[in-house]
Amino acid sequence: MLQFLVDTLLRASDLALIALGLSMVYGLVKFPNIAHVQYAMFGAYVTYAMHASGVPLVLAIAISCAVTGALTLGLHLLVFRRLLRAGPAIAMIGSLAVAMLVVAFMQGFAGSFPRMFNLPLTEPILIGEARVTATQLYFVGTTVVLLLLFAMLLFFTRTGRAMRALASNPALAAASGLNAEGITRGVAFASGAIAGLGGSMLALSTGAHINLGYDLLLPVFAAAILGGLGNPLGAVAGALLIAATETAVTNIDFGGLVGGDPLFMPVAYISAASFLILLLALLFKPYGLFDREVRRV
Amino acid sequence: MTFKMHSFYAATALLGTLSVTPVVQAQETVNMGAVLSLTGANATVGEDVRRAVMLAVDKVNADGGVLGKKFGVIVEDSGGNPTTALNAARKLASVDKVPVVIGEYSSGITLPMAQYLVKEGVGHINVASTSTKVRELGASSFNLIGLENLGNQFSAADTWALGYRKVAMIAPNNAYGQGVAHGFKQEFEKLGGKVVTELLYTAGQSTYRRELQQVSRSAPDAYIYTAYGQESAVLNREAYELGLRKSPWYAILLSMSLSDTPANIANGQLGMEVGNVYGDAGKAYQAAFNAKYKEGTKTSYTGYAYDAVLMTAAAMNKAKSTDTDKVQAALKDLGKGGYVGVTGPIVFDAERQRIDPPYAKLKYDGKVVPR
Repeated sequence: MLQFLVDTLLRASDLALIALGLSMVYGLVKFPNIAHVQYAMFGAYVTYAMHASGVPLVLAIAISCAVTGALTLGLHLLVFRRLLRAGPAIAMIGSLAVAMLVVAFMQGFAGSFPRMFNLPLTEPILIGEARVTATQLYFVGTTVVLLLLFAMLLFFTRTGRAMRALASNPALAAASGLNAEGITRGVAFASGAIAGLGGSMLALSTGAHINLGYDLLLPVFAAAILGGLGNPLGAVAGALLIAATETAVTNIDFGGLVGGDPLFMPVAYISAASFLILLLALLFKPYGLFDREVRRV
Repeated sequence: MTFKMHSFYAATALLGTLSVTPVVQAQETVNMGAVLSLTGANATVGEDVRRAVMLAVDKVNADGGVLGKKFGVIVEDSGGNPTTALNAARKLASVDKVPVVIGEYSSGITLPMAQYLVKEGVGHINVASTSTKVRELGASSFNLIGLENLGNQFSAADTWALGYRKVAMIAPNNAYGQGVAHGFKQEFEKLGGKVVTELLYTAGQSTYRRELQQVSRSAPDAYIYTAYGQESAVLNREAYELGLRKSPWYAILLSMSLSDTPANIANGQLGMEVGNVYGDAGKAYQAAFNAKYKEGTKTSYTGYAYDAVLMTAAAMNKAKSTDTDKVQAALKDLGKGGYVGVTGPIVFDAERQRIDPPYAKLKYDGKVVPR
């Protein structure tokens, strides 16, 4: 049971930060940015490059966050702000093009070989019957702290209130004198930095590789849509739900039903399970699980 | 009509003379072709094989060349892409008019490329692809390397000999992985063993913890796996973290499976692979490779490429011609027995497939070493 929780948490942390940023930006600009997962891939490579050239890991990740945030902000100002004038559908297609450009650029620059971090191997820590490594504890810890900070920012500060106002009714928010452009820029930077952080931490175990972004695309979007696009903390809940479903499906022993030998669902169905949940959610709760007073999609 | 046909023949003959004559005059070198993955995901393999090919060219020329002329191999890059490989093969066959082309690396590229060459009647020698479909390529295709069915027999016998009876099988959920998982299971069960779990994992996930834990529940004697470098690095790290390495791990194609895994995690794994070098000729080849490139071979495929080039040169000399049909006939003749390459004796069966191709038992001890 404990192992189940640990596995769910680890998988959820892989997705949570990136889904959070995606949903947060969606709330303000109202288009799903497909390139968002590629910022995570970009961040992973920047961290690798810094770490390989001798920068301590934590500093390398911090630099990578700043660089990725700057890239996100730059793309927002130069590309997406203009595309948005033509409508969200155009902006989404544009973001697909940007995603491919980022991948092509990284492939040209870093090559197609995966870059594995050269980290010391630590013995896993036993918590009950569950095994986790120190790196994973830091990873989950960082994610949780960041999510708490973000929730506090969103619900207990003026900036947070302004962000929520802008997300739920841009016209009214602008009429009340909110600096919409300033907030959007801030959020774009922050979402990029968080994606860079998520990608970097992910790369500590999987290595920085060119498909890192594409591999995240479907689960991250599923989590964000499940939570209701535009609802950042909903995206985190979506990530948790997807992780829990995937973990449950792979670990339930159906052997008892047919008597005798352990019998598990083939792992090829692992992602099908989470998309079944997504499909059911879209059928019955099309505006996300946390659809309350505001329609978000 | 007759007149027209005559003029057609005359024109063709004239064209033929025009195009052939300068080539014959300029042909100071006798060439064969190679299509290798010099760029792209398998660039390491491609470059390694290219070095072996160049070493073979040096060797042939040091021994007097071919038909009294200088010998060369025209190397083209496949970019790890079937279309590029096909274009390269087309160029080699129709512009350079080489009698024999070797290559590529991955089966998905070798098969369409070789089908084209066979259709054109040009000789093809497979030096690295292990799909069983290679056997079905047809009349002008030769194969030097052990295909998957033989590989599965070898790894099943090897793991059985190591004392494993109840094993878990881990492979990617694609044509290659399913082929290996299915083939290994068949061979292993013939010997009396049992595959208790079969895990066909989805490529490109950030974690395989859930899958690995599912497998571990069946408490196997050993884990038999095959995986691509980067995914394998995640699998191996997580298997280590979850304590699954307390049971032995055996990799089918060990150096591919461990190429991106840190040494401290990889240590102690056993495995197999196609054989690389054999006997004194093999040792001499490795020494020459080391001397020329200041480092050893990185993959097991170089020996096959080296043999393919030397054998083609020998066939040209034997046929006293560079005509592809005559060279192919000479290759078949050489393959009747008695030809020994750096990968061991090369004998072809009726379908031009090597009989008893070599395999190696390996382990990881700081690097991949024989066991």
